[in-house]
Amino acid sequence: MDRIAFTGVGKRYGPTWALRHVDAVFRAGEVVMVIGPNGSGKTTLIKCLLGLVHPTEGAITLDGKIIGGDPSYRTVIGYMPQISQFPAALTIGQLFHMMQDIRGLGPAEVDDTLIKELGLDTQLNKRLSALSGGTEQKVSAVLAFRSRPSILVMDEPTAGLDPLAARTVLRHADRVRNEGGTVLVTSHLMEEVEALADRVAYIQDGSLRFLLPMKEIFQATGEDRLSRAIPVLLSKTVPV
Amino acid sequence: MIKVFKYTLIDLARNRAMLGYALLLLLVSEGLFQLEGDPMKAFLGLVQVVIALVPLIAMLFTIVYGYDVLEFTQLLAVQPIGRSAILGGQVLALSVSLLLAQGFGLGLPLLVHFPTRVALVLTVTGSALVLVFSALGTLIALSQREKARGVGIGLGVWFVFVLVYDALLMWLMFALSDRPIEPWVVPLAALDPIDLARIMVMLEVDLAAMMGYSGALYKEFFGSTGGMAVALGTLMLWIVVPIAFAFRTFRGKDL
Amino acid sequence: MMARVVPHAANGAVPLTQRLKEALPGDTILVSGEVREGTLTIDRPMALIGAAGAVIDGDDAGDVVVITADDVTVQGFTVRGSRISDMHDNAGIKVLDRARAHIVDNFLDGCFFGIYLSGSRDAVVQGNRVVGHPQRENRMGNGIHLWHCHNVRILDNLVRDHRDGIYFEFVTDTRIERNKSLNNLRYGLHFMFSNRNAYSYNRFQDNGAGVAVMYSHHMEMRHNRFLSNRGASSYGLLLKEINDGVLEDNEFADNTTGLLVDGCNRFRIVDNSFRANGWALRLFANATACVITRNLFVGNTFDLSTNGDLMLNDINGNYWDRYVGYDLDRDGYGDVPYRPLGFFGLLVERMPYAMVFSRSLLVALLDQAERLIPTLTPLAMKDDHPLMRMPNG
Repeated sequence: MDRIAFTGVGKRYGPTWALRHVDAVFRAGEVVMVIGPNGSGKTTLIKCLLGLVHPTEGAITLDGKIIGGDPSYRTVIGYMPQISQFPAALTIGQLFHMMQDIRGLGPAEVDDTLIKELGLDTQLNKRLSALSGGTEQKVSAVLAFRSRPSILVMDEPTAGLDPLAARTVLRHADRVRNEGGTVLVTSHLMEEVEALADRVAYIQDGSLRFLLPMKEIFQATGEDRLSRAIPVLLSKTVPV
Repeated sequence: MIKVFKYTLIDLARNRAMLGYALLLLLVSEGLFQLEGDPMKAFLGLVQVVIALVPLIAMLFTIVYGYDVLEFTQLLAVQPIGRSAILGGQVLALSVSLLLAQGFGLGLPLLVHFPTRVALVLTVTGSALVLVFSALGTLIALSQREKARGVGIGLGVWFVFVLVYDALLMWLMFALSDRPIEPWVVPLAALDPIDLARIMVMLEVDLAAMMGYSGALYKEFFGSTGGMAVALGTLMLWIVVPIAFAFRTFRGKDL
Repeated sequence: MMARVVPHAANGAVPLTQRLKEALPGDTILVSGEVREGTLTIDRPMALIGAAGAVIDGDDAGDVVVITADDVTVQGFTVRGSRISDMHDNAGIKVLDRARAHIVDNFLDGCFFGIYLSGSRDAVVQGNRVVGHPQRENRMGNGIHLWHCHNVRILDNLVRDHRDGIYFEFVTDTRIERNKSLNNLRYGLHFMFSNRNAYSYNRFQDNGAGVAVMYSHHMEMRHNRFLSNRGASSYGLLLKEINDGVLEDNEFADNTTGLLVDGCNRFRIVDNSFRANGWALRLFANATACVITRNLFVGNTFDLSTNGDLMLNDINGNYWDRYVGYDLDRDGYGDVPYRPLGFFGLLVERMPYAMVFSRSLLVALLDQAERLIPTLTPLAMKDDHPLMRMPNG
């Protein structure tokens, strides 16, 4: 089932296009890995979906409805940004409570399992201003999963996390997919996400070069690792 | 919006700069009333503080806070709440806390040491100035990506309103002194929110002099209910217009 | 012969006019009720006393009560019905060329002139309420009017809504104390050619132009309050061509101009307070040898203005709230002079509409610059030893 559709989406900053002519569909029950060089437009792509960035052209639909003025579509989205900064004066617990309150969720409607699994349950009284980068990412992860999203967007989720925590987060991403959710993950550390991904979207210079199932990529290239398969694939594909 | 307002207010309540501002204002006000033997003299000192310093601090605080809170704003913006609700809640919280700080640091000492009609006028116009310059600060913070640039523009805007505009106007008065410029001076001055607030206070403080040979002019402009409504309306415009532009900017802003 | 007390009831068989004709010197007539017999003339020494609620209504005939004898007392009446006239100064109670009149505790209700003393001496006017008509104030005479009088006491009266509250012309050696003169069209108190008079503990408020003392000498003015006299050419007190006087311990507040000194010599202005006036002190250049010291200047829009470069007066040791000097030798006086005439004051003299810049940062800066490096203001216009603290706390 198609959930998200990008149609001719482009974003221009000044004279340069950060994203151009993107057509893509993301389905229920899949993990799509969005990869590409730094500054290729990955983050812009997901920010367009989240409503943080307004596309210059094209449209994005979620479950058939164009996203725009009405913010309620974001109820189903969980987002884990690359870097987070939280109101310094609050504690971790207060932040969780606040975001829950802002989303209007009852105690039964949130998923607290990740808090414990990431070891945050003992740090709930810690001030957000005093957190290490790793802990900040854990907090970010909890916020992304806590509202039981059916669409999960993660921007470099494993950067800054210790391997154990990274594995935990990815396991939960896997669970979301298995429960019928859609997961978009950007990463340039490919190996970590590779095992999870159903399809790979490759973005370069703001253009979506391909969006292919993992299997097809490996078949077409004869490689068994993405890091080796992609250069091969790129040399074959004729730019549109 | 209510929830954004609530949490922004909680955040501001623990903001050191905000608490520092309130305390500084209290220190200045109390200091003036304690040091000066005469409450009237202390009050006139406070008028200068409110006219010059309060707009600057309100604007700079708003600008700096606007940048500091940007990441959190981003976090809010991916929640199912609209941009207007976010900005509305933040602007409201910022205004409320600045007004509370001012009420604490300025209003309270005035109430204790100088409970007069003119003190009320100063409190009200001072509050209007806080809102005007917080509104301008919001717009500046949202339209400039760089913090340093935003702060710089803020300083410039304050400097124009507090000094440069008056200097230009006075220069114009000299340059055109042989022409009937007189009816234009007050309306032109009233375009500057700081001048407008100052004139409203002055109408109380310097009323005796106003009733002198230039009295008719001012009474005509401000003395009538219509004139006062125009003055308050102009101040309202200085609040509403920047805020409206800020909303427009924020709705289309890429975070 | 024993002095008699004759009761008189108005509207009885005998008119008051007749009783006055039949009275013996030293008699007291005790009046009750409302007398309405036109002008009453008292031509022999006697006392006319009103019982509670007694009224004498002149019925618009002219004057109401005219005293043409020495030693007459008129006390306790409501007096009304003096005719408004362009020809005659019709008054509620008039004393003509006699001594020792006592006019006490009367209520002069809307009379053209209230109490009018002409060519009289040694009189006492005390505790009267003299109230004109605010609606037809331009048709009002003076409240208490003295012409060519000597040694009179004007005490504890309230005068309001007349032309001049209290008017003196050619009056000498007279004391005016504890009166209130309010809301009069022109002056609260007005002296012309009147020497050696003293007024103290009076309040002059909301009059057209405050108090004017003109062409007189040896005047003493102490402990008076000059309040809220506002208007284009209004002032708390005008001293015009006054020599050898004292102005001490008075309060000037909320006046457009507090004190205007025009052509005075050897006048002492000491220990007065000037608060929240438009111009606290206007000192014209024709004033000479005046001493201005220990006065308090607080919250005025302008402390001082003048109309020339000349300054032949001694301004020293006053308290100025704008003074920001220091006192290193700790003698209580600032070590640098204070220049009460600022740039802004001069600017407003030239361009009145520049008032719009009052209390702006620009004006504060320009004023400070002018004080540090005087270029426009008269160099002699300064207080060399400004007080660091307010006198008397």
